[in-house]
Amino acid sequence: MAKGVTVRMWRRALLVLIILLVGGFGVSIFRLVEWQLIQGKDLQQMAMAQQLKDIAINAKRGTIYDKNMKPLAQSVEAWTVILEPVYLKSDESKNLVATGLSEILMIDKDEILQKMRKESFYEIIKRKIENSDRDKILAFKKDNKISNGIRIIDDTKRCYPCGCLASTVIGFTGLENQGLSGIENYYDQELTGKPGRVVTAKNAIGMDIPCEHEQSMPAQNGRSLVLSIDEYIQGVMEKYLEAGRVHNNVVNGAVAIMMDVNNGEILGMATEGYDLNNPFDIKNEEEKARIETLEKEERSKAEGEALQKQWRNKAISDTYMPGSTFKMITAAMGLEEDVVNEGTRFNCSGGFRLFNKEKTVHCHKREGHGSQSFLEAICHSCNPAFIALGQSLGAERFYKYYRDFGLTQETGVDLPGEANGIFFSKDGTMQPMSLVVASFGQNFSITPIQLITAVSAVANGGKLVKPHVVKQIIDDSHNIVKIVDKNVKRQVISKQTSQRLRKMLQKNVEVGSGRNGNVPGFQIFGKTGTAEKIGQSGQDGKDYIASYCGCAPADDPQIALLVIYDTPKGKDYYGSAVAAPTFRTIMEEVLPHLGVRKKFTNSELLNAGVSAPLLIGCSVDESKEKLSRLGLKVQVSGPIENKVVSQNPKSGIIIPKGGTVLLSTDSTIPEQKVAVPNFVGLTLSQVEKLASLMKLNVCVSGATNSGNESKSVRQNIKLGTEVSQQTVITVEFIQRANIF
Amino acid sequence: MRPNRILEKAYRESVAVGKNTAISETRQLLEKRKKRFKLFLINSKVDMPFLLLTLLLLILGLIMLFSASHPNAYHFHKGNSYYFIKSQAIWAILGVVTLFFMSYLDYHHFHKLAVPILCISTILLALVLCMPVRNGVHRWISLGPVSFQASEVSKFAIVLSFAHFISINFKRMNKFKYGVIPYAAILAITAFLLYLEPHISCIIIVVLLAGGMLYIGGVKLRWFGVVLIVALAAVGYLILSNKLSYASARVINWLDPFNPNVNNWQTKQGLYAIGSGGFWGLGLGQSRQKHLFIPDPHNDFIFAVVCEELGFLGAFIILLIFSMLVWRGIVISMRAKDKFGALLGIGLTAQMALQVILNIFVVTNTIPNTGISLPFFSYGGTALVMLLAQMGIILSISRNVNLEKT
Repeated sequence: MAKGVTVRMWRRALLVLIILLVGGFGVSIFRLVEWQLIQGKDLQQMAMAQQLKDIAINAKRGTIYDKNMKPLAQSVEAWTVILEPVYLKSDESKNLVATGLSEILMIDKDEILQKMRKESFYEIIKRKIENSDRDKILAFKKDNKISNGIRIIDDTKRCYPCGCLASTVIGFTGLENQGLSGIENYYDQELTGKPGRVVTAKNAIGMDIPCEHEQSMPAQNGRSLVLSIDEYIQGVMEKYLEAGRVHNNVVNGAVAIMMDVNNGEILGMATEGYDLNNPFDIKNEEEKARIETLEKEERSKAEGEALQKQWRNKAISDTYMPGSTFKMITAAMGLEEDVVNEGTRFNCSGGFRLFNKEKTVHCHKREGHGSQSFLEAICHSCNPAFIALGQSLGAERFYKYYRDFGLTQETGVDLPGEANGIFFSKDGTMQPMSLVVASFGQNFSITPIQLITAVSAVANGGKLVKPHVVKQIIDDSHNIVKIVDKNVKRQVISKQTSQRLRKMLQKNVEVGSGRNGNVPGFQIFGKTGTAEKIGQSGQDGKDYIASYCGCAPADDPQIALLVIYDTPKGKDYYGSAVAAPTFRTIMEEVLPHLGVRKKFTNSELLNAGVSAPLLIGCSVDESKEKLSRLGLKVQVSGPIENKVVSQNPKSGIIIPKGGTVLLSTDSTIPEQKVAVPNFVGLTLSQVEKLASLMKLNVCVSGATNSGNESKSVRQNIKLGTEVSQQTVITVEFIQRANIF
Repeated sequence: MRPNRILEKAYRESVAVGKNTAISETRQLLEKRKKRFKLFLINSKVDMPFLLLTLLLLILGLIMLFSASHPNAYHFHKGNSYYFIKSQAIWAILGVVTLFFMSYLDYHHFHKLAVPILCISTILLALVLCMPVRNGVHRWISLGPVSFQASEVSKFAIVLSFAHFISINFKRMNKFKYGVIPYAAILAITAFLLYLEPHISCIIIVVLLAGGMLYIGGVKLRWFGVVLIVALAAVGYLILSNKLSYASARVINWLDPFNPNVNNWQTKQGLYAIGSGGFWGLGLGQSRQKHLFIPDPHNDFIFAVVCEELGFLGAFIILLIFSMLVWRGIVISMRAKDKFGALLGIGLTAQMALQVILNIFVVTNTIPNTGISLPFFSYGGTALVMLLAQMGIILSISRNVNLEKT
């Protein structure tokens, strides 16, 4: 056995075997237990973090439609450019890509080069580029044979087809398509939807690998909103609000709100606004120019302030003193509590002496309105009469109604940033002096939306409704998900009170201080307001807020409209002179659009115009007869025995009562032209005289009376324009005197 | 086991003989033996368990190599997913032929080859230093399309030469002059040349193999103590003088594998893979880490992919098969008719075992990352043929075992 294995070898080999099995394989297994079974979960997660590509599928943000399904805000395709610097190794390729991209996207080249220094797969170069830019980049990639390094991924961009329309209501979105203001913000969750996900496994260079891990969850697109706002009405409101703002040199902004009095739907809400497609541009050119002259820090601060100001929805976020428009509320309180009726007599001596007999609150008519009925007091907008009414109501009852009209809390309109009014005290107690001034709408402040909601309650039979701008929430395929119903908070006054007050206020619009807001035939009822601003009087004396709030039609109220001009610096500052014409022009266009039929009273019928009949081809005598039946006069040019070959005004055009029609019987005689004279700044009789002298027809709009109080302010055909004889020119009048 | 008594008797006899005999006598013994050698061992039986375990591991290795290598093959070899497996399969067939050839070849022929192979190994180790650098080290020798690592040869050369020298000098192994100095000299030269490459992992394997063989060969334990002290002193010196900067960075990475500032991508990705496997694994072919996350998943880190796909269970079974192979290898060696066969068998088995163990230690971050491939699994044709040839030698030893069974 000499050459065989010895016992010691056996022993030692056994030891080596044990060391290998225990120290080697045993430890290996121990380590595997540690990594796989103990730390396995953690390691698996770390591995997944790098292996799984979690692609979010963007949910399409919902569209915002107007009442008639016209899109006001929609998401459109856009692209985001991503750089993958890892694949751009050489300086040459880096430079090429940086140059190309900087040219196409108009970005600084150094900025791109800076981003390329990072060892990453994802550097955002520019977001939300247009299709055209994307095509350029694709072409650039193809031309230069760049296969890796630039990626273009799907994105969406919010687009507002109507630009500035209803900007402060709709609001805008940020880079991540999140709503930042307005409806976009308030309904962000509904609009956003739920992004979907696709989880795929990828290899180290980001390519997909086949893997049972792939899961996908489809995106749930955002809901769309149907607003109660009508794009046409909104446009009309914005147009006339802006025209009035410019005309009256209004420095502190303007507001117009139109609301359906019965269900609280907001039909239009106009403020100055901004371009929704470029919300970060300061719209006010002067302001922009001023800011650009500032130093760096001040400049960004001023910019921020200016932007905040332009994004602010003045209709709901700012409070103001309603002034005389509030008399509608006070009158409703008085009628409801039966402390006053249409015939109650009030005496106005031109002022109300306060309790300490030292100070006097003057009426706007210093010499006083004398003895007047309550109806007359409303038409006069007499302060002392309303002070007396307030006194007989008392603070307690006043506050009860004040609260019931919803003026102590936000209306709950579905827009972000709604403010609340400021009353004299939180618990409703009032100093005697406070009650005095509160009776005619001074020294407390409310938001415009609060006022129009309260006035709607006055108009609709006493129900306080919750205003809202979103009518329906619909899904992708236009199925209705939610209908926003009428939400009646409470009955504030009785139906009868509402009806009585409507009649009085209609009278006010027909013959009283509200005349400038009248549109004959539509039974408008409302009230002007001119509030003094406290503590904001500038160097040129006091500042005012001119407003007009009214509804139509009186027999079946449908809409309420409130127009506010904050701090007019023009010739006028009275609500009747500043806000009423805007109110009237808006109503004039909106009421027919809403399908409200004109209903004339007898006196109105007398003044209404007639439609010109078709006379061409008739004999002169025949024409004369037809026209005289309509109360129109005739002017003939050419031989009388011929038949009519042309007429002016043409058939169908409205001619004022007593107007003249020019008939031409000979086409060879050239048409008689006249240059339109200046009709502005004249009284009605002066205008009529001038018109008959110039052989023109004049259609009168606005508040007129035979006296000198009413002056013309606008004419629809410019001074000096050459027109045919007997052309109809519309001249607008407003009443300056005896209005408050 | 044979009865101890017989063994002890034999041992005493051999010691008694050893006292009076000189080298010439040993030579005579060898001469006698030669006459009894056959060129081929046709009529004897190989150890079937060892053969089957070897072939099982080879097949498992090929399957896992294909699974681990196809993403890399696809990405780096023009979409040819079969790039690695095709080459490996061809080498595997060649390897199996070699295995059977070796199993029939009487291993005693290697007595004659021991010294020439040691010389060739040393020359190759010197030659490889002139070869072009790959990944910062000189390791590969290229012969046309075929390339191999010089260290593969040197590992075999050390095992063979030690088995040869220890078996012929067995009786004098307890003497310093015969039992330590020649081996220390061979080891020092080999280790130094490997250090120049540098190839630390191979030095570790070679030193452990040499130590193990000398230990079994009967070297007195005190010499190991001396060597250990010298080795520790040397390592201490190298660390202090920062000469192993190439290795020391790896040590730092080893201590904190998940530190994001540490550049140990491979280790980290390997651990992710191992951890992802959990108990049951993601299923064959389902590894995600092999998709370019683990660099060269078909090489040293193939076991991480095995763990990810087959889970702890699969990894455990594979380690069990390896352990059985090692156990069987050592049993075969211990039953060898002579000391040369026993030592050669133990050496070759231990070499394979150490490779497996160190590879798994690296993959599980038990020791710092150093390039050691996993036998049967890692990609590398020449290494596979070499491995199968060595397994063939063990089978050849198994044909010569004593008939007595334990």
